[in-house]
Amino acid sequence: MSTVTKVQKPTITPKKKKGFFQSLGKQWQLMIMSVPMLLYVLLFNYGPLWGWLTAFQDYQPKKGLAGSAWVGLDNFRFLFGREDFRLAIRNTLAMSVINLVLGTVSAVLLAVLLNEVRNRTFKRTVQTVTYLPHFLSMVIVVSMAQNIFASNGPINQMLLSLGLVKDPVFFLGKGEYFWWLVGVINVWKEVGWNTIIYIAAMTSIDPCLYEAASIDGAGRFQRILHVTLPGIKSTFMVLLIMNIGHLMEAGFEIQYLLRSGLTMKYSDTIDVFALIYSFGSSKPHYSYGTAAGMFKSIVGIILLFGANKIAQALDEDTLI
Amino acid sequence: MKKLFAVLLSVMLLASLLPMAMAEGQEPITVTVFRGDPGDQPTEDNKIYKKIEDELGIKFEIEFLAGNLDETLGLKIADDVYPDLFDGGNSAETLENAEVLIDLLPYITEEKTPNLYKHIYTNDRIKQLTTDDGKLYIIPNYGINYNAQIQNYCNGPAFFIQKQVIAWNNYQVPKTLNEYFDLIERFLAANPTTPDGTPYQGFAILCEGWRHFCLINPVQHLMGRPNDGEVLIDVNDPGFHTETFIDKPYAKAYYAKLNEEYHKGLISKDTFVMNYDQYIAALSNGTVLGMFDQTWDFGTATASLETSGMYANTYLALPLVYDPEYVDGKVIEEHYLNGTVMNKDRGFGISTSCKYPERMVQLMETLLSDEWQKTLQWGFEGEDYSVENGRMLMTREQYVNRSDAKWQRANQAKAIWESMPKKQGTMDDGNAWDPGNQPEIYFEQMSDYDKEFYAACGVKKPADFFNAPIELAPYGEAWQIDKAPIDIDYNDFLAIQDRWLPTIITCDPAELDANWDAFVAEITPSATVYTDFMQAEVLKLVEQALN
Repeated sequence: MSTVTKVQKPTITPKKKKGFFQSLGKQWQLMIMSVPMLLYVLLFNYGPLWGWLTAFQDYQPKKGLAGSAWVGLDNFRFLFGREDFRLAIRNTLAMSVINLVLGTVSAVLLAVLLNEVRNRTFKRTVQTVTYLPHFLSMVIVVSMAQNIFASNGPINQMLLSLGLVKDPVFFLGKGEYFWWLVGVINVWKEVGWNTIIYIAAMTSIDPCLYEAASIDGAGRFQRILHVTLPGIKSTFMVLLIMNIGHLMEAGFEIQYLLRSGLTMKYSDTIDVFALIYSFGSSKPHYSYGTAAGMFKSIVGIILLFGANKIAQALDEDTLI
Repeated sequence: MKKLFAVLLSVMLLASLLPMAMAEGQEPITVTVFRGDPGDQPTEDNKIYKKIEDELGIKFEIEFLAGNLDETLGLKIADDVYPDLFDGGNSAETLENAEVLIDLLPYITEEKTPNLYKHIYTNDRIKQLTTDDGKLYIIPNYGINYNAQIQNYCNGPAFFIQKQVIAWNNYQVPKTLNEYFDLIERFLAANPTTPDGTPYQGFAILCEGWRHFCLINPVQHLMGRPNDGEVLIDVNDPGFHTETFIDKPYAKAYYAKLNEEYHKGLISKDTFVMNYDQYIAALSNGTVLGMFDQTWDFGTATASLETSGMYANTYLALPLVYDPEYVDGKVIEEHYLNGTVMNKDRGFGISTSCKYPERMVQLMETLLSDEWQKTLQWGFEGEDYSVENGRMLMTREQYVNRSDAKWQRANQAKAIWESMPKKQGTMDDGNAWDPGNQPEIYFEQMSDYDKEFYAACGVKKPADFFNAPIELAPYGEAWQIDKAPIDIDYNDFLAIQDRWLPTIITCDPAELDANWDAFVAEITPSATVYTDFMQAEVLKLVEQALN
């Protein structure tokens, strides 16, 4: 999706009406460059949409798409009739919003702080250390978290020795904590990675602006507030809109690895639900999984366009 | 040119004569084989495969599973070209449903294939093996016993306790639930930590994924039945009364007991959120004193304890039952060990692509003969085992070799043997078919600690703590019943237990009754569907077996 943005943006900014083919001819190099991406999207993102048909079938692999019985909206009726699916929607949205807010705030904050650091070695070190977890597999991250948050793990030991709690907190087994645990783990894993794009945006701010602000008597905080933050606003908006489009994607691995019987009501996202119902028994229900996935995609598209519309209305930079 | 032609002609003539020299005039063939499990390719000069090639003219080209079984089978079915001998592993039903395998029954007759005929028709086994439309696609790879079944140890479900706890208790073994927890409590009070200072955990409960049987299965065994999955079946009732046990008052007693032990500190909270790897790690550290599990489920932990010489921390399987106080004063007799269950629908089938099905059946027939079974299971006499006074024996080195993967590649036909029909139990001369079951060998390989331990307990082998296996019920073991027709309700039934049982174990004792009632209320709808389904299926199986 990001590639599409980069290619299209310059072509849209001039709002004057020109002949479509005229501008197409002028930009033929760009067009050729975008062909592989277009093919990629067609092949891997649009091609599989055929499979959505199975959401309206009682799909049996043996009979295939042509031979399976059509059932109309029965699969969707089944899904919405189930409490665990409604809970899955709630959990997905809750964890997404927590991830979005925590993720964005932490990334912007760390980027601003790093931007203010003058010692290059220190800055580089912090950057490397914070983005390395991004490359760790979720399996490793989750098992580390399970040790850290265990009843006798370091966090509980610290809380106990500080006298903040009397009994160890059962972080991993209380449903109420689950969403926040996922949020915290995601921040730890992704914060460094998410900063990169903001730091890049900050380097493109004209140093003259900072000098001018200093001459006008702006202190460090004022420079951050009036130069740095406005400087990354457009990047921020574009990322925000894209992330809103991904609100239905709260993740799958982390919840699947961290869940247990005790936290089930809070842990299962739509993806986990789809997996369990698709393959969870000796009679796979591919159609339930497809229907759940389709619902997720459609809501995602609506959210994306909605956020874009709102940004347009507020006269902010937009994605499309 | 003429000379060359003459040479060529004579070579061809010789070549055509060669197969005639083969046994029974059968031409040599190469058979393609698929195994639904990962495995190691045998070496080129493997001695058993060489014997098969020399004597039967059959060479194998074996493909092992690499990656996901269901995906691999799906691709093979889509290709429409199959290996001759097709083992679908744990998803063999997929092959049957896709009509990839041929019906074996027409090939098996008393005259042409006496071994196979005896194998599947004795004790009316055939009734259980055939599909609803009377076809036989796969002859079970395991679970068909000849003569007496030798049971040295319990490989299935049991309550487990570290041997050092029993030794500490002067080798007195608990027999009931209360005695068991009482012993762990006393041991913990006397020894709160390991010698190096790590705290012991009294009782662990693995709750992850499909292994949640450690949490939800014990009640049926405490009530004196072998493993029927999630139902308790009254085998003395002509109607085979079937009920889910988890929502009954006698199940509440077990979870209330666990609640009590939780508040006494025997059970850690973290046990409800640990995954399988963490569980195995905890067992391998020797810090877990007891648990309910099945022996095969923690084999890696046992192996690693033995490798590091921590024999005192390995586990003893115990057949616990409820104390009379939990079941209206009834005295329950334990039945943890069951008669052997046939591993139905697992093993080699012959695919529709196979050009010589008759020869494949003949291969199964030949390999099922006593001589070949000895070769396949024991090896060559003098080389892999010796015979003294009619008893087949192995030296320690010979026995240890058998578990060495490199040795297996050159000296065993493992890939073929595992999926072929085979003889288990004992030979007509009293030796065990499986060398690992041969009592002399079993005791010879036991560690010195274990030898002393069992001697001090006054038993010969671990299985002596158990009653002899009871006769297998006519329906087999009910956990084998496929729940596909009611899978949504079945999943609900399990998920509600996964969610509620840890809550009930960890809740304030004052809230226990309220929580239990809420649990029963929530599980009743799915439990009812499940009970009705299982009752009908059990009766169907009984009827099939009895007429």
